Amino acid sequence: MTDPGVTEPEGAGPRSGMMGDTFAFLRHGSPVAWIAPHLRSRVGIAMVTIGALLFPVIIRNDADIDSAANALAFAALALGLNIVVGFAGLLDLGYAAFFAIGAYTYGAFASFQIEPAWSGFWQPFQWLGLVAHTGDVVHFTVSFWLMLPISAAVAAFFGVAFGAPTLRLKGDYLAIVTLGFGEIVPIVARNVPSVTNGAMGLNGVAAPQLFGWSFGIDATPYYYVGVGLVALLILTSTRLKSSRIGRAWMAIREDEIAAAAMGIDRVKFKLLAFAIGAAFAGATGTYFVAKLQTATPEMFMFPVSVMILVMIVFGGIGSIWGVVLGALILQILQSWFLEDLSQWLHALGRLIHVEWLRQVELSQSIEMIFGIILVTMMLYRRQGLIPATRPVQALTLAEQTALVEPAAAPSAERLRVFGDSSFSGPGPLLEIKDLTVRFGGLVALRSVALTVPAHSVVAVIGPNGSGKSTLFNAVTGLVTPDSGTVRFAGRPIERLPPHTVLDRGMARTFQNIRLFPNLTVLENVMVGMHTRLRTGAVGALMRLPGMLREEEEARARCREILGLFGNRLLPRVDHVVASLSYANRRRCEIARAIASGPKLLLLDEPTAGMNPAETIELAGQIKSLKDHGLAIVLIEHKLDVVVSLADNVVVLDHGEKIAEGTPDVVRRDEEVIRAYLGRSAAVA
Amino acid sequence: MTTTALYLQQIINGLSLGAMYALLALGFTLVYGILELINFAHFSVFMVSSFIGMWALELLGLSGQGVILTGFALAGALIFAFAVTMLLAGLLGVAVERIALRPMRAVRGTAAMITTIGVSYILFNAILLTVGADSKNFPNPMPNVRWDVFGATLRLREVLIWSVAVVLMIGLQLFVNRTRLGKAMRATAQDAEAARMMGIDVDRVIITAFFLGSALAGAAALIFGLYYNYTSFIIGYSAGLRAFTAAVLGGIGSVTGAMVGGIIIGLIEALGGQVFAVRWTDVIIFSILVLVLVFAPTGLFGRPSATRS
Repeated sequence: MTDPGVTEPEGAGPRSGMMGDTFAFLRHGSPVAWIAPHLRSRVGIAMVTIGALLFPVIIRNDADIDSAANALAFAALALGLNIVVGFAGLLDLGYAAFFAIGAYTYGAFASFQIEPAWSGFWQPFQWLGLVAHTGDVVHFTVSFWLMLPISAAVAAFFGVAFGAPTLRLKGDYLAIVTLGFGEIVPIVARNVPSVTNGAMGLNGVAAPQLFGWSFGIDATPYYYVGVGLVALLILTSTRLKSSRIGRAWMAIREDEIAAAAMGIDRVKFKLLAFAIGAAFAGATGTYFVAKLQTATPEMFMFPVSVMILVMIVFGGIGSIWGVVLGALILQILQSWFLEDLSQWLHALGRLIHVEWLRQVELSQSIEMIFGIILVTMMLYRRQGLIPATRPVQALTLAEQTALVEPAAAPSAERLRVFGDSSFSGPGPLLEIKDLTVRFGGLVALRSVALTVPAHSVVAVIGPNGSGKSTLFNAVTGLVTPDSGTVRFAGRPIERLPPHTVLDRGMARTFQNIRLFPNLTVLENVMVGMHTRLRTGAVGALMRLPGMLREEEEARARCREILGLFGNRLLPRVDHVVASLSYANRRRCEIARAIASGPKLLLLDEPTAGMNPAETIELAGQIKSLKDHGLAIVLIEHKLDVVVSLADNVVVLDHGEKIAEGTPDVVRRDEEVIRAYLGRSAAVA
Repeated sequence: MTTTALYLQQIINGLSLGAMYALLALGFTLVYGILELINFAHFSVFMVSSFIGMWALELLGLSGQGVILTGFALAGALIFAFAVTMLLAGLLGVAVERIALRPMRAVRGTAAMITTIGVSYILFNAILLTVGADSKNFPNPMPNVRWDVFGATLRLREVLIWSVAVVLMIGLQLFVNRTRLGKAMRATAQDAEAARMMGIDVDRVIITAFFLGSALAGAAALIFGLYYNYTSFIIGYSAGLRAFTAAVLGGIGSVTGAMVGGIIIGLIEALGGQVFAVRWTDVIIFSILVLVLVFAPTGLFGRPSATRS
C-alpha cells in the first residue's frame, strides 16, 4: 500500500492482498518504518500468530491459559456478530441464542442427558462410533470434531428460519425481534429439562478427543483449538468482506434501497449474513460447552448478547481485527485485570485506612464498565479502537488540477461484455402502457404511456411533483404500480423486484444521490457489477483462481468506466464517496449504474447542482454513452441539456402526460407552457 | 375459590399489572413517536424511580408494612410520593437525553439505540453497586381494606392504583390534545423537519417527551412497589420488556395504543399464568412481541412505519 504522503498513482494495481488495511493504524508510527510497506500486514499477522502459538509455553499458568481460551471463544462470537452487525448492518440483540443452540446441540449428543432405550435401530450408529451401548440405554458419543460443523449448520438453519420472516423489518424493530428471540431460546432451554436438564445445566458433556487422547481438563489443548477456531473465522471474515458477498452486505448496510436498485437480492444476502453469523456462534457454542463440560441457560441470556455487542463496538464495528482485539481486551479485563486491580485497591485501602477501598470488588462492576464503554465509544469514538475504514490522504492541489484527457468512453463492446446491452428484438426497448400509481388518495401517475426505442434518448420533463421520479420508481420496481404494464426488452417487468429489474438490464440513478457513503468510489462502482459477477460464498472462501480472475477483471473494468469522467474520479478511487464533492458523487452514481452493463440507463436529474461548465461536460459524456448504443431516459430540468441530448421529450404534469414529441415541438406546446409558466404566459 | 372467582381474581391482578405496563409503555411510545428511537434507558429509569419512590416514602417515616395511614394522611403521603418520584424520574429522563442522546441525534441507524443500552447498564449497575443486590422491602402505608367481588378479592391498593393510572392517562391525553406544547409534540411526531420550520422548538418538544415519559415511568415504578411490596435492581428489565411489548402491540407511537396494549399485556400475564404454567409466561409475551412486529407491525392503533419499503 502507499506510504503516508504519497498518493496511490492513478491506475495502480489492486490492493495488495486482502489484509491491506488491517494494520493501517501501525503505519503512522515509526517502529514499523523499516518494513517494506506491502509486507507490513503480513509481518503483523505473522507476529500475532507466533505470539498466539507461544502464549501457553510462556505463561505456563493453567488458570491464565484457561482465561485466554475463554477469551478466544468470545473473540469468535464477536467475529460472528460482526458479520451480522458490522458487515450487513443488521443489529442483533439476541445473538447469544445461536451460541446456545450450538452449545446444546453438542451437549445433547455428547452427554448423558438424552438416553433412549437400546434397540436394533441404534446398531449401525454404534458401528460408526456415534453411540455407545451402556446397560439398556443408548449413550450418544458423537465426536466433537464432527459436531463442530454440525452445530454450525444447525445454528445456521435456525438463523435462516428465524431470519426469513423478520429480516424485512427495519433496524430498530429487527433489534427488538432478535432480542425477543434471544430471550425465548434460553427460557425454552430452562423449561424443557428433558433435553437440557433445565436450570441445573447439562452434566458430563464429553471432552473432545484427538486420536484417542482426551482433552480432559487441561486448558492448553482447548486454547489451541480456540486459536484455530478464531484463525479460521478471521480468514472467513476477511475473505468474505473483500468479495462480491461482502460488498453486497456493506451496500445493504449503507443504503438498502440503492442496494436493491443495484441488483442485490436483499433477502438472500441478509439471510446469508444471518446464517453465517449464526454458524460462527453455533461452532463457538460447541467449543465452549466442550471446554466447560456443562451448559446452563444463564450462559446465553441478554447480558451475554450485550457483552458481545460491547466487544464489537469497543473494537470497531465492521473491523475484523478490531472486534477480535475488543473481545480479548474485555475478556482479559474481566478475568485477570479486575481481580488484580481489586487486590491493589484493597491493599491501598488498608494502607490509607479507607474502608470503602478495602471492600470494593471491581469484578462485580464489569457491567458498569460495559455500559460506560458503550456510551463513551458511541459518543466519542464510534469507529472503535481499530476503525474498519482507513483514512485516505487528501489529494494535493497539483493532483486535483492535473488534467487527464477524458478517456474515450468504454467501447460499446466493452460495456456489453458483462450483460448483453444490445437489443434488437421487435418493438421498442421499453414500453410503458396505462401506468397508474396511487399513494392513498393521491394519484401520482395516471395512465401514463411511454415508449423508448433502442439506442435513443428520451427526456422526461415536468414541474416539481409531476410524477417524474415516481415513474422511475414504478418502472424499476421500487414502487408497485396499481395498474398498467411495463415491458422491457419484450418481457413484462412491472411485478419484478428492483434487483431483478437491474439484472434484466435497466439501471438507474437517484434524484437525491443514493451512493453507499462509507464505501470507496471503486467499491461503489463494483457493487454496480454485482449481478454480472458470479462469485458465491464458497468461491470467495476458497479464493479459487476463477474468482480472483473475475475480481481482477471487474476492477479493471470499473477503472475503465471511471475513466469516462477523465480525472474526476480516477485519482479518488480509494476515497470514500462521503468525501467527494456533490458533482463527483453524481458522476460516481452514473458510473455505478453503467457498471451493471445496462441496456437502458435511467438518469434522474444527472446535472442537478452542477455549474454550467460541469453541466456541459456531463452532457457530452452522456452523449458519448448514447453514441455507443445505450438507450437513456433522462429526467432533467435544464432545457438546454434536454434539447441537446433528447430524441424525444415527454412532459408530465400532475401525474399525467400532457405532451410528447421532439424537443422543438414540445417547446412550443401551449399546454407545456401553461404547466411551466402559468396560464397568463400561455395566453400571451 | 371457584374457577370463575379464580379467573376474576386474575383479571383484577391483570388490570393492576396492565395499569403499570400502560404507564411504562407511554414512555416508550412518546419518545419513539418523536425520535423513532427505542429507548432502553427507560427500563432503568423505571427501576431507579422505584428506589426514589421508596426513599420518598421512607422520608415520611414509613418503612415496610409497619405504619398504616388512613384518610388525609394516606392521601397526602401518596400524593407526596407520586409527586417527588415523578418529578425526579422526569429529571432523570431529561438528563439521559441531554447527556447521552442529544449528541447522537444526527447519527443515523441504530447507534442511538445502542447508546441507550449503555445508559441502561450504567443506571442498573449504579443501583446494584450502591444499594446492593438484595431486594428491598417497599413501604406500604395502605390499610388492608378488601371487598369480596363474586368470590374474588378486591383490595384498596388495586382501586388506588387504577385511579392513579386513569387520572394520569386522562391528564396525558388532555396535555397532548389540548395544550400548545401537546400540539407541538404531535406536529413534531408527524414531521420534525416541518415542525422546526414552522417555528416549533424541537429540542423543547423532545425534552418534554422525555420528561413526561420518565415521569410516567416514575408513577409506574411507585405502583410496582406498592403492588408487589418490594423493589430490586433487576425489576427494570422484565417489566420494561413487557411494557415495550405493550407499546408495540398497541402500535408504537400511539398514546391510546400504549394504554390498551398495557392492559392487554397485564391481562395476558395474569391469565396466561393461570391457563398455562407461570414459567411459560415470558415465552408467551416475547412471542407476542415477535409475532406482532413480524405480522402486524403497526399494532392496534399505530401508523405504518415498521418495515422499510
